[in-house]
Amino acid sequence: MVAALSPSLPRRDEHARAQLRAAATRAAPAVLAGDRLLAVAGPIGHLLPAGGIRRGSTVALDGPPGAGSTTVALLLAAATTSVGEWVAVVDPAGTLGARAAAEVGVALERCAIVRPVAPDRWATVVGALIDGVSLVAAVVPPGLRPGDARRLTARARERATVLVALGPWPVEASLRLHAQGRDWSGLVVGGGLLAPSEIDVRVEGKGVRALAQARAQAG
Amino acid sequence: MSRTGCVWCPDWPVIAARRHADNIGNDELRSRPLIVRERVGSRDVVRCASADARAVGVTRGMRRREAEARCPEAVCIDADEANEARTFEVVARAIEEFTPRVVLERPGRCEFPTRGPSRYFGGDDALAAKIRDGVAAVLGPDGDDVRIGIADGVFVARLAARRSVVVPAGGSAEYVAPWPVSVLDDDDLASLLVRLGLPTLGAVAALAPDAVLARFGSEGRRIHELARGIDPGPSVLIAPPPDLVERTELDPPAERVDIAAFAAKELADRLLERLAERGLACTRVLVEAETEHGERLTRCWRNARSELGDALTAGVLAERVRWQLDAWINTGETTAGITGLALIPDEVVPADGRQLGFWGGDQVAHQRADRALARVQGILGYDAVTTAVVQGGRTAGEQVRFVPWGEPREVELPLAVGSEVAAWPGALPPPFPARVFDPPVPAELVDVGGNAIAVNGRGEQPRPPTHVRCRALPAGGGAVRAWAGPWPYDVRWWDVRARRRGARWQVVVNNVACVVVVEGGRAAVEAIYD
Repeated sequence: MVAALSPSLPRRDEHARAQLRAAATRAAPAVLAGDRLLAVAGPIGHLLPAGGIRRGSTVALDGPPGAGSTTVALLLAAATTSVGEWVAVVDPAGTLGARAAAEVGVALERCAIVRPVAPDRWATVVGALIDGVSLVAAVVPPGLRPGDARRLTARARERATVLVALGPWPVEASLRLHAQGRDWSGLVVGGGLLAPSEIDVRVEGKGVRALAQARAQAG
Repeated sequence: MSRTGCVWCPDWPVIAARRHADNIGNDELRSRPLIVRERVGSRDVVRCASADARAVGVTRGMRRREAEARCPEAVCIDADEANEARTFEVVARAIEEFTPRVVLERPGRCEFPTRGPSRYFGGDDALAAKIRDGVAAVLGPDGDDVRIGIADGVFVARLAARRSVVVPAGGSAEYVAPWPVSVLDDDDLASLLVRLGLPTLGAVAALAPDAVLARFGSEGRRIHELARGIDPGPSVLIAPPPDLVERTELDPPAERVDIAAFAAKELADRLLERLAERGLACTRVLVEAETEHGERLTRCWRNARSELGDALTAGVLAERVRWQLDAWINTGETTAGITGLALIPDEVVPADGRQLGFWGGDQVAHQRADRALARVQGILGYDAVTTAVVQGGRTAGEQVRFVPWGEPREVELPLAVGSEVAAWPGALPPPFPARVFDPPVPAELVDVGGNAIAVNGRGEQPRPPTHVRCRALPAGGGAVRAWAGPWPYDVRWWDVRARRRGARWQVVVNNVACVVVVEGGRAAVEAIYD
């Protein structure tokens, strides 16, 4: 009896398995690239490949003082806090204007500001923060060792945290943003008031249209 | 419900501060009225005042400035909770002469079960008298006003201690009825109950239990029970799992409080984390320490409001443990370094506050961030990790307050008259600068002839600015393309020494917008719109 039944069992099983496999392919929980993307709203988002920043990537952001690099970093932080996640800003000199952060939409209660930070502790602190929050925006101290920078890049990739390095980043980055200046209006000679202005940002990196350049509204 | 005794030393912060002053030979605090202040968010309020200060109208929670106006001769000092706990250790030890199970809630108040000791010493009244004498003996002149209450359950015992009475068994309902609802220690609830026309616990107790349950939920049921003098303790008690005891060895032995407390903080985090894994929280914990000489010290701490089921949080627990270690080490109870520490959960309840947020409030992400930030605080110091709170002020620097991570963020609402939000005189409107220099970076603001710009007493400048030079600007500054100002300010004009006068300009130099301030003839760049 058992012997008569047994040849039919594997066949039925195989059929069921095939069906199951087909069903599984249809319903497989594939991780889409879009799920691992931190969407950035506004004109800055239009500049970025796929409209946002991939989690785990390192963004090097630079520009002379007053060109708007801090505001661009704050816009990226605002995109993170607006989806309920946490950011940390490492501000070694202690000069971040938190009022401006609130103005561009950063939820201050989910934004830890770390300051002041001695240059020799910088890498340790940024590493610890990468473990805990979704985006770390850190002002790079002069003379950062490439080894430390590479380690932090790897750690950010592993933890799916975005690392925004403000200043001269000594190693390669997934994305490079250069703030190139702002066009101020509203203020004339002897009167008026500053009006919110646009920032010229140039983007370099994989998946970016050659020399994408556009203006991002800030403030 | 067990018979419970409660010892309460009113004005403990004052007593502790005076005893500390005696120890260091400062007799000023004894001879003058004393106000102990504390910071609650951004406010500076009275934590406690001595009897002579209270006689002229200083009350708890009053703003410090108002308290000082009412009692100008008073000495005003900062609250030092560690000192309060350290000083209270002698009281706890005096009570331990009579009963071994003393539970501390906060410095100044502790509880103990009285069934055994009462029987031994001949009744509740006799026990209360003995303990009062014992405590008064160790406190000396400060021991005049030690109050002891004995009643059924912790809540009623605490009320009994306020009047220093022994409430007979079964007499709780009658005793609590005339007390106002504010003794429930929940201001929002108390104010609501008063508005509902229920000013006393007796009025709450007279309601139908199902009506209270329907309106206030399970917390309402507990309040109703307390109002009827029934205090069953936390609703569901679970026998603490024995394997949850957290121990650590200290090698080398810790002789200083901060080293021991650092180890204790980790222990506290680990204990609560492991309890949380099982869906539990802790309302009472035993702190145990062992020294090199083999001394074994234990003390039990419980959370305030634990009768309503409020559990200890990691911060509160670590603070209690720190106080206790401080008390042991600094009152000479340990004769050698501490070699071992243990935290033993004594009373465990199901955790109820750990549900994942439904909308947005993602607890897991919060905890992950919390751990990382606490770690960075360990590396850089407590004040180095902050969150910003926007507040009123003139300059971009004044408009932000940085609150250390872990402290409550009290958001200040702007002053509004009707629906108009009052503006700060002299404050610059948005956009706000993204880089703010504190202190401002020295600069030169000059006119065509190269003379420094100054402002006269009427806030007018004789000649317009044409050049700004500053190391914070790219290329060291340059020609002014556009400018507005000067906006003069005159801060603290009523105080000769703190008075500051100056003027501000918004300036665009080389396409960089910045705020330049001139004060006392010296120019500086205050902020850059980066």
